[in-house]
Amino acid sequence: MTCSIPLLWVDDPPATACPARPSEAADAALVAQLQQGSEAAFRTLVARYQDRIYQTAFSLLRSAEEAEDVAQEVFVEVYQTIGRFRGEAALSTWLYRLATSRALKNRRRTRAKKRFAFFTSLLGLDNETLYEPPDHAHPQALLEGRQQLQLLLAHIARLPDQQQVAFTLRHEQELSYEEIAAVLETTVSAVESLLFRARQTLRKHVNPLLRNV
Amino acid sequence: MSDSAARSNADEVWDDLLDQLATQPKAQPRPFFYTRVQARLAAEASAAPRPKPLGWLWRPAYAVLLGVLVLMLSGDGAALRPAAGAAPYNASPR
Repeated sequence: MTCSIPLLWVDDPPATACPARPSEAADAALVAQLQQGSEAAFRTLVARYQDRIYQTAFSLLRSAEEAEDVAQEVFVEVYQTIGRFRGEAALSTWLYRLATSRALKNRRRTRAKKRFAFFTSLLGLDNETLYEPPDHAHPQALLEGRQQLQLLLAHIARLPDQQQVAFTLRHEQELSYEEIAAVLETTVSAVESLLFRARQTLRKHVNPLLRNV
Repeated sequence: MSDSAARSNADEVWDDLLDQLATQPKAQPRPFFYTRVQARLAAEASAAPRPKPLGWLWRPAYAVLLGVLVLMLSGDGAALRPAAGAAPYNASPR
């Protein structure tokens, strides 16, 4: 089955049976138009990638507000720096790289703020009540009471950064090992190792039944 | 239950869990995402700092360096040098 992807569209792409992933050739043409300053090309880029970038950020942050913020930052950065994009990596790789690195940076900043707020509250330096950001448990997990899925998501959030990114890109974004290696700027065997360790840790924690395997 | 049966059962549970993760409803940005990106771009463009005239002067290192240069060129350093005609210091009391 052949699947043509229009280079430019103004409204949201129509729902078709074709895979949502555009070819590298279509992306290269889009980049060329972006570098010429085409507003329509930028609109197309956002329409094409906004869901994936938002989902990636959401998977790493589990906060709709922070994911929105990161996704916006990614597209603003792309707009501002597209002139320097030389095409060493695929456009999608570059976008995923920006999204994951910004999401992790965002999370580190939030954790540091929380730690600082905790210590200042211990020292009694402020009388404000500690702000706990809402815990956005996954809608499906809430709806169907899938405690195991909730538990899995909670433990994914506790994985080391690189393992979490690799696991999320593999199991939520369904990227290939090669694509993940490109995003993380590492080798395929390093990705295999990251995923192996992530799965091992998660299996240990998620279900007692899986513990001995 | 044998060890191998438990193992395969655990594998099934794990695979099922990964399937649930992959097939969960995907989070999506709120409508009009592009409009908000445009607004952010416009806000960043208007907030971009313009270079101030003599902006480098505001950097402490440059300001200190400038101060030292002014002092050196103003001749105030002459007070620190011995006068040309002054007798050299005699270490011997006699």
